[in-house]
Amino acid sequence: MIVRRTAAWLDERFGSNALLHAALKKIYPDHWSFYLGEFALYFFMVLVATGVWLTFAFDASSENAYVSVLALADRHHPIGYVIRQIHHWAAVCFVAAILVHMGRIFFTGAFRRPRELNWMVGLCMLALASFTGFTGYSLPNDGLSGTGLRIAYSVALSIPLIGRWAANVFVGGDDFPGAQLTTHLYTLHVYFLPVAIGALLGLHLFLVIYQKHTQFVPDPEHVVGRRFWPDYALRTLAALGATLAVLALLATFFEINPVADYGPYRTWIVMNGAVPDWYAAFLEGALRLGPSTELRIAGHPIPPVFWPGLVLPTVTFLFLLLWPIIEARLTGDRAAHDVLEPPSRVPLRVGVGAALIFDGLLLTIAAGDDQTAATLHVRLDTLVWAYRILLFAGPLLVGVLAARIAAEMRARVPAGGAPPPDVVMLVRNDRGGYDEEEPQAG
Amino acid sequence: MIVAAFLALAIAGALGAIAAAAFGAPPSAFGGALALMFAGFAGAASAAAIALHAPGDLTEPRVARGPTHARPLPAEVELTRPVFGRLWLAAGGAFALLGLVPLIALARKPGRASRTGWGAGVRLVDENGVPIPHDRLAAGGIETVFPQGAVDIPEAPAVLIRGDDGGYRAFSKVCTHAGCPVALYRHASHQLICPCHQSIFDVNDGAKNISGPAPRPLPGLALGIDAEGFFIARGDFDAPVGPDDWDRVL
Repeated sequence: MIVRRTAAWLDERFGSNALLHAALKKIYPDHWSFYLGEFALYFFMVLVATGVWLTFAFDASSENAYVSVLALADRHHPIGYVIRQIHHWAAVCFVAAILVHMGRIFFTGAFRRPRELNWMVGLCMLALASFTGFTGYSLPNDGLSGTGLRIAYSVALSIPLIGRWAANVFVGGDDFPGAQLTTHLYTLHVYFLPVAIGALLGLHLFLVIYQKHTQFVPDPEHVVGRRFWPDYALRTLAALGATLAVLALLATFFEINPVADYGPYRTWIVMNGAVPDWYAAFLEGALRLGPSTELRIAGHPIPPVFWPGLVLPTVTFLFLLLWPIIEARLTGDRAAHDVLEPPSRVPLRVGVGAALIFDGLLLTIAAGDDQTAATLHVRLDTLVWAYRILLFAGPLLVGVLAARIAAEMRARVPAGGAPPPDVVMLVRNDRGGYDEEEPQAG
Repeated sequence: MIVAAFLALAIAGALGAIAAAAFGAPPSAFGGALALMFAGFAGAASAAAIALHAPGDLTEPRVARGPTHARPLPAEVELTRPVFGRLWLAAGGAFALLGLVPLIALARKPGRASRTGWGAGVRLVDENGVPIPHDRLAAGGIETVFPQGAVDIPEAPAVLIRGDDGGYRAFSKVCTHAGCPVALYRHASHQLICPCHQSIFDVNDGAKNISGPAPRPLPGLALGIDAEGFFIARGDFDAPVGPDDWDRVL
C-alpha cells in the first residue's frame, strides 16, 4: 500500500513508473560467480555506514588518536567494539572480494571489448580500496601501523628527484612522524579515497547496466537470465543479509587488529613478527626479498626500497590496467564479446593469470619469512634465496604448466559445441581388448 | 510461512541487539543479536526467492551500443565561425600545468631533518631521561638510549651494547633500509636484526650489513665516560641516519 502510493506520488511528478517498470523487468544473466562483485559492493556499503559512526568516536589528532581507539577496542564496549570490528573485518573482506571478483572477470574474459574501460575502472577501485584500507588501519597510531607508516615514508623518500617532496607532503613535515600525519591520513581515509571509490563505483555499475552483463549462455543476440524483480532482487537481498550476518559473527567472535596489544607507536619500538593487513603483505614480502644494492646516479642514491616498494606495484598495476589491450594485441582478437569463455579457452590468459597469482602468493608468504624459517628450521638466508629464485622461476613454470593444461582442455572441448558425452560404450573386440563404440547419431 | 518465521527471527535479533545495548551487555550479545537479525533477513529473502522461483530462463535482446557512425557534433550545433579549438585546449593544458604549483607548495618544509640530538659531551639517557652509568649493562646486555633532552627526535634512538669482551658499542637504532627500529639482538652471534625486513648487522664489525636488504651499516656513535661516571657521546653518528634519499649525496 505504502509502496504503491509512494510510486504513484513519484509517478505523478516525474513519470517514474515507466523507468521503474524497465528496471524491475530488466533481465540479468545468472551464475554464482556474478555475485562476487556484489559482495564487494556490500562490504563498501558497510564500510561507509560504520565509518561515518566511527568518525564521531575517533579523535583525529596524533596525540589522542590511540587513546580514542583504545576506548573503542575495549572488549567491554558493547557498541563501539562491534562497530569497529565490523569496520575492520569489512575492510579486509572488501579488498578480498574485489580481488576474487577481478579474478572471475579476468579468467572468463569479461574484460574484453566492449568492456575494457570498466575493467580499468574496477582496477582503479582495487588500488583505491587498498589505499583506503592502509590509511584506515594506520589511523590509530598504534605500534603496528606506526611501523608500517615509517616504511611507507621511507618508500616515498626513495623516489628519485622528488623523494623528499613526496615524503614531506605525506607526513606534513621534514621528518617522521610529521606533526600532521594523522590529519593527512584522516582526510584521505574519510573523505578523498571513499569519495573517489564512490564515484568510480557509480560509473562501474552504470556501465554494467548500460552495456548489459556478460553471460555464459552462448547466445550473443540475447541476454539470457532472470528478471530483476523478484528473482534477482531477492537473491541479492539474501546475499546482503548473509554478508552482514557473517561480518557480525566475525566481528563479535574473532578479534581483528587488537590495538591494545600493540601499544602506542614509539619511534624506537617495534613488535617482532609484525605483518600488515593481508592486502599489503605482498609489499612487505617484496621489501624482504628486495636487493640491498643502492644505485647511484651522479652521486644521488636510489635506495633499495624503491624497486620492491614502488616500481613493483606500479608496474604490476599498469600491466593489469592495460591487460585488455595487451591481450587483444597478443591474440589478435579485437572483436566485441558478450559471451564469456570458460577459463581454459585462452591458454595465454590462463598462464599469465596463474603466474601473477603465484607471485602474489609467494610475496605474501615471504612477508612472514622469519617465522617460516624458524618453523621449518632453515636458515633465513636460504629461504630468502629460495623465494628469490621462485619469484622468477615459479611464474614461468606455473604459467607454462597452466597454459598447457588449458590448451589440453581446450583441445578436448570443441569450440561452441557440447562437450563429448561422459559415457563411452566399450565393446569387446575379437582380440580380447576393448574398442570404443561410435556414438549413435541422434 | 517460512518467510514469516525468518522475518520474526530478524525482528527478534533487532530487538535483542537494542536490549543488549540498553542493558550494557557484553559485545558478544550485541554482535550475536546483530548476526541473528541479518541471518533472518538473508533467510527470509532466500525463502521468498525459492517460493517465487519459476523454472526457465527469460531473454531480452542485446543491442550493440556502438558504433553509431554519427558525427560527434550534430549539424544544428556545428560552429559557424572558427573559435580556435586547439588554443582552448592549450589554455586548458596551461591551466592544468598551473595545478602543479599548489601541489609543489604542499611540501611546507623542503629538505629533510638531519638533527639527531647527539654531539660531543651529550649524555646517554634511557627512554625516561635517566642517564646511563658506565656499569649499567652486563656482558651481552643491550639498551635503547637517547641523547639527553632530545628523546623525541626520531633520528636520535641508538642501541648501547656490551660485548663479551666487556667493551661498549653504540649504533643508530634506525635501520638504513626502511627506517624501522633495529630492535632484535642476538647475543650469541653478536647480530642486530631489524624485525621489519630481517636486515642483519654485525655488532663486532662496525654494525656492518651482513644480510638482508639494508644497503649500508648502522651509523656508529663514539662513546666516552664523563667525570661522574655516566656515558657520553664523543660526537654525532659517524654516518647519516636512516634510509638514504635522492638528495642525500654522500
